[in-house]
Amino acid sequence: MSINLLQRHVLEDHISGFETDPNPNHLAVVRRPVIFSVLAHAGHEAAVAEALKAASDLAPRFCGPSEWLAVSQTVGAETIGGLLSNIPGASFADQSDGKVLMTISGPSVRKILAKCVAVDLHSDVFAEGDSANMLCCHVAANVARTGADTFEIIVPRSFAGSVFDELMEMGREHALTRGFSD
Amino acid sequence: MTSYRLAAGGAVNRGQLLNFTFDGRTFRGFEGDTLASALLANDQMLMARSFKYHRPRGVVTAGSAEPSALLTVGNGARREPNARATVVELYNGLVAASQNRWPSLKHDFGTINNLLSPFLGAGFYYKTFMWPAPFWERLYEPLIRRAAGLGKVAMQADPDRYEKSWAHCDLLVIGAGPAGLMAALAAGRAGARVILADEGFRLGGSLLGESASVGGMPAADFAGTVIEELAALPNVTLMPRTTVFGWYDDMVFGAVERVQKHVASPSPDLAVERLWRIVAKRAILASGAEERPLVFGGNDKPGVMTAAAARTYLNRYGVAVGSRVAVFTNGGSGYRTAADLVARGVDVTAIIDARPQSADPMPEGVRVVRNGSVVATKGRHRIDGLIAERSGFEEVIACDALAMSGGWSPVVHLMCQRGAKPVWSDEKQAFLAPDIGKAFLAAGSAAGFDRISDCLKDGANKASALLRDLGFAAYEADIPDVEGEYDPSFAPLWYVPGAKDKAFVDFQNDVHVGDLGLAQREGFRHIEHTKRYTTAGMATDQGKLGNVNAAGIVAGMRGVSPAEIGTTTFRPFYTPVSFGALAGTVRAEHAAPVRTSPLHNWARKNGAAFVESGLWYRSAWFSREGEKSWRESVDREVLNVRANVGLCDVSTLGKIEIFGRGAAELLDRVYSNSFLKLPVGKARYGLMLREDGIVFDDGTTSRLSENHYVMTTTTAYAAEVLAHLEFSAQTFWPELDVRFVSSTDQWAQMSLAGPKSRTVMSRIVQDDISDDAFPFLAAREVVLRGGLQARLFRISFSGELAYELAVPAGYGEAVADAIMEAGRDEGICAYGVEALNVLRLEKGHVTHSELEGRTTADDVGLGRMMAMQKPDFIGKRLSMRFGLTAADRLQLVGLKAVEADKEIKAGAHLLKDQAKPSLANDQGFVSSACFSPSLGHHIALAMLKSGRERFGERILVWDGLRGSEVMAEVCSPVFVDPDNLKLHL
Amino acid sequence: MASLITCPHCGTRPKEEFSIRGAAAPKRPSATAKDEDWHRYVYVRDNPKGRYQEYWHHVAGCRRFLVVDRDNLTHEVFGVTDASDFERARTAG
Repeated sequence: MSINLLQRHVLEDHISGFETDPNPNHLAVVRRPVIFSVLAHAGHEAAVAEALKAASDLAPRFCGPSEWLAVSQTVGAETIGGLLSNIPGASFADQSDGKVLMTISGPSVRKILAKCVAVDLHSDVFAEGDSANMLCCHVAANVARTGADTFEIIVPRSFAGSVFDELMEMGREHALTRGFSD
Repeated sequence: MTSYRLAAGGAVNRGQLLNFTFDGRTFRGFEGDTLASALLANDQMLMARSFKYHRPRGVVTAGSAEPSALLTVGNGARREPNARATVVELYNGLVAASQNRWPSLKHDFGTINNLLSPFLGAGFYYKTFMWPAPFWERLYEPLIRRAAGLGKVAMQADPDRYEKSWAHCDLLVIGAGPAGLMAALAAGRAGARVILADEGFRLGGSLLGESASVGGMPAADFAGTVIEELAALPNVTLMPRTTVFGWYDDMVFGAVERVQKHVASPSPDLAVERLWRIVAKRAILASGAEERPLVFGGNDKPGVMTAAAARTYLNRYGVAVGSRVAVFTNGGSGYRTAADLVARGVDVTAIIDARPQSADPMPEGVRVVRNGSVVATKGRHRIDGLIAERSGFEEVIACDALAMSGGWSPVVHLMCQRGAKPVWSDEKQAFLAPDIGKAFLAAGSAAGFDRISDCLKDGANKASALLRDLGFAAYEADIPDVEGEYDPSFAPLWYVPGAKDKAFVDFQNDVHVGDLGLAQREGFRHIEHTKRYTTAGMATDQGKLGNVNAAGIVAGMRGVSPAEIGTTTFRPFYTPVSFGALAGTVRAEHAAPVRTSPLHNWARKNGAAFVESGLWYRSAWFSREGEKSWRESVDREVLNVRANVGLCDVSTLGKIEIFGRGAAELLDRVYSNSFLKLPVGKARYGLMLREDGIVFDDGTTSRLSENHYVMTTTTAYAAEVLAHLEFSAQTFWPELDVRFVSSTDQWAQMSLAGPKSRTVMSRIVQDDISDDAFPFLAAREVVLRGGLQARLFRISFSGELAYELAVPAGYGEAVADAIMEAGRDEGICAYGVEALNVLRLEKGHVTHSELEGRTTADDVGLGRMMAMQKPDFIGKRLSMRFGLTAADRLQLVGLKAVEADKEIKAGAHLLKDQAKPSLANDQGFVSSACFSPSLGHHIALAMLKSGRERFGERILVWDGLRGSEVMAEVCSPVFVDPDNLKLHL
Repeated sequence: MASLITCPHCGTRPKEEFSIRGAAAPKRPSATAKDEDWHRYVYVRDNPKGRYQEYWHHVAGCRRFLVVDRDNLTHEVFGVTDASDFERARTAG
């Protein structure tokens, strides 16, 4: 037999029903991003960081010393896996199924996120391109600023439903809409 | 009903009428009113009954320190007791009711307490309701609770939303009066990130009730222009209706914003209150000063209030607090109030000045009684006169309101919340803010300045100093001129002698001067003891008005300075904060995050009942049509796994990817058994100890490639094991090249168990998984039919031939569906954690029911896993201690009920046969138990003293809690397939 | 309401992101150390009021163990060091 390999997004049940046009404040769930954990081994920290920064088609997200998430929304897991295997001193693990990527954007985004994270997200402190692990809606998440009013939140898959519901709740007063990005 | 609203003036919007009710009567007020100002405008001076004596009470203040005018606002589930009428913002449809009275506010039966008051002094309860002891709970407490008290809470669930938010700033300014506004302006213009928070619904603080002019315009207008400028600055956040209630570690301030407390029907999309945690680099406390009441006979009656309150009602709300107002003062504030009243056409019958002389300008046509005092007030529901005394002569002066001024106390509460005590100033006759370093400064009247011009200047100066500290360019604020200021200085007067009625110190708790004296006489002399004995300074207002007077009076009684008496301890919250705000969204379905397995949907489709396991929802069993109890389902699942094949979701097990050349060495040091020689492609069961030699967790670790391992942990210990590895690698052996990352969420993991599992699995996996090619404990990456990369492990918890298959989580449901389809002809079933538990129990495998923090490896029969030849591993050294190796330790055994239908319960104690059921005869306990469908009777795992020597012995299983005694036979913990024949099929 | 710890890797964070693991001063003895040393290491802890070095695990951040040097009465923080650096420094010194 051959298995019918149907991929199912964990938030499928949370984003069912009638979909309106996105409001200015919008939460988009990226359906199939590629996300790898990348770890640099002793002595290779700087070189791995440089290689990740230089790589095209992936955005490195800072997790901790010598640890990143390599995120790509443009190429597949094989490409990213191949790219990472060519970086000396780096170990990596595909987490594309273990992580959920959401993009929250809009004029009220900082007001909404102030209810979700304790970190100061003012652009003087957390500038475009910055990223870090932090508690978001009580769950350890990676938060990145990808635009003036745009943030990407990566959470563990098993917690994604809770975080998604909480984000929507916090966005209620700002008329936050939601949907898959495709 | 007389209207006390003046024809013009005040900052209320006379174009916007608001209807509200008080005790069922309808009244009208204006937008911009507080409930108190609207009631006063409607001649409703009587607003409350006091806590203990049920004395009639009105308002004492026009702000958040109000001790007396406590009302219940709202109805149904939104009924909120003990709201201070002085800070409740009026809205159309507001429903207010008086409290602590029966049958009505005017005719309150509880007034009898006032007549009994000679017997109800401080300490009355302690002395009277001592014995007999059983009476306390059954009789005294219910009685006291009924007689004394405040409002009643709503018993329904709160229908409103609350939330929490963080904020960050360079400078937090607390209070938007003259000092706060100038501080915010200086910082805002300098470009700093500023938050200006004020508890009022309109920013401006005392300027809103002030008759002086600032910058050539009325003070309130000046405040308006500053606020307009601040509102236009993108770096400034204005937060009206926000009380900063606490100062915490690391310059974090707690604040509560009343977002929708001023509307009749709150929007469901908005929180009604928002709790803020404000992280400020610097902060300014510009919370102003509180005017002190004078302590004289009858000072609590409706109509007696502070001079500043009378002035605020007049200037801010356009309400005269009476038609004939008398003033009793020891300083300039009383004169200013009289002058403002006269200027607005209100009759001022007399100013009684406690001082022999003063330079305060006398309002024209107003009589001044110098060196005078008030010894009593007349009237019940509103005063109609007072008895003044001078040089031994008494005189009745008619009045329907009395404005009193006893001087000023800076509001320094927040700065004292982290242990520092306020400092007494002889010059200011007040407690001032302590020196608590350079990050948080008091400014304006909170810092002891008493003139508006000084407060404006101080606010700007303090802000500039703090900003320079943060590296902002110095900014010179232009300080506006103030015209028409008065001199607010005063002469201290703690207590007015000759009182002909009770002279109250703490209005809210009905504590009068006599109570303080009693406390001193009875030895409760320390101010903290005085507080607890008399209750002065307790309850919702925490002594904002009374505490300083209490300290002054006690100092007078003892003949010392108030500096020696000091203050009681200041703690958050500054004013009461609702439980709703503190809980925020953390209630109902948002109480805790929920974790769902990638196979959650598969389990649901197959009829799973779910059980909470930590944050996880796990499938417990899968009901089929006709099954009447969970046991039926579980028994069927177990038998089917033993006979055919079953599929179980084990995705919740912790999974940790381990990389690096030092990985093998690290594993060898954290596991008690050897891991250095684990070959690639193999899994090994491992046991971890704590450093004290006790078992920590178990699991398997597989070597996927030379320097890449994957570890599985129990569901419960996933987080702890990862932390343990990180701790070991980072602090013990930082020289080892090893890195970890959790991959728990990446994999949907399923256990396929049963004699037919290979047949089913080979229909799913492309690779050869025959026993030769994929023997017991094989662990490899495989490819599924259809092309998906997966991980396959031949490990077993059930004792059957079994595989664990891990596939990327998103494909979990599809693969599980495919396995169910592939196994249909083999009779496959889904099984849950209940069946899994029965299977492992029958096989004698331990879980955290046995590895419960007291057991050693040997205790649970895993002594062979202690590789003592290794030079070191965590727990090795202390595992050799005498106590952990003693022969009479509790050891893991099996139990089977002698009578097949008898149930053994986990938690029951084990006794020798014929022994008297008593803990003195305790021999051990049952750790896990179940009905074994494979054997047809109840079985259990138990920890029994020297248990391994006692197989065959009959013992008594005694469950004292549930009252059962069952005879059981001690046996090997392995009930099924002791020779492991089924594992190697 | 909150306490903040400045993680050397992640910046200033609330205490909720951390898990505290107790005193950092005791150092794991060698396998051949005396019984008393092991006993002290596993069971004996000072309980000072004042300055104290503690392991704080930044579980919701970088997942590094940190050594937080702080006053446990006033919560004044004197310094935060990565635990590996702390360990290397004391092994070297």
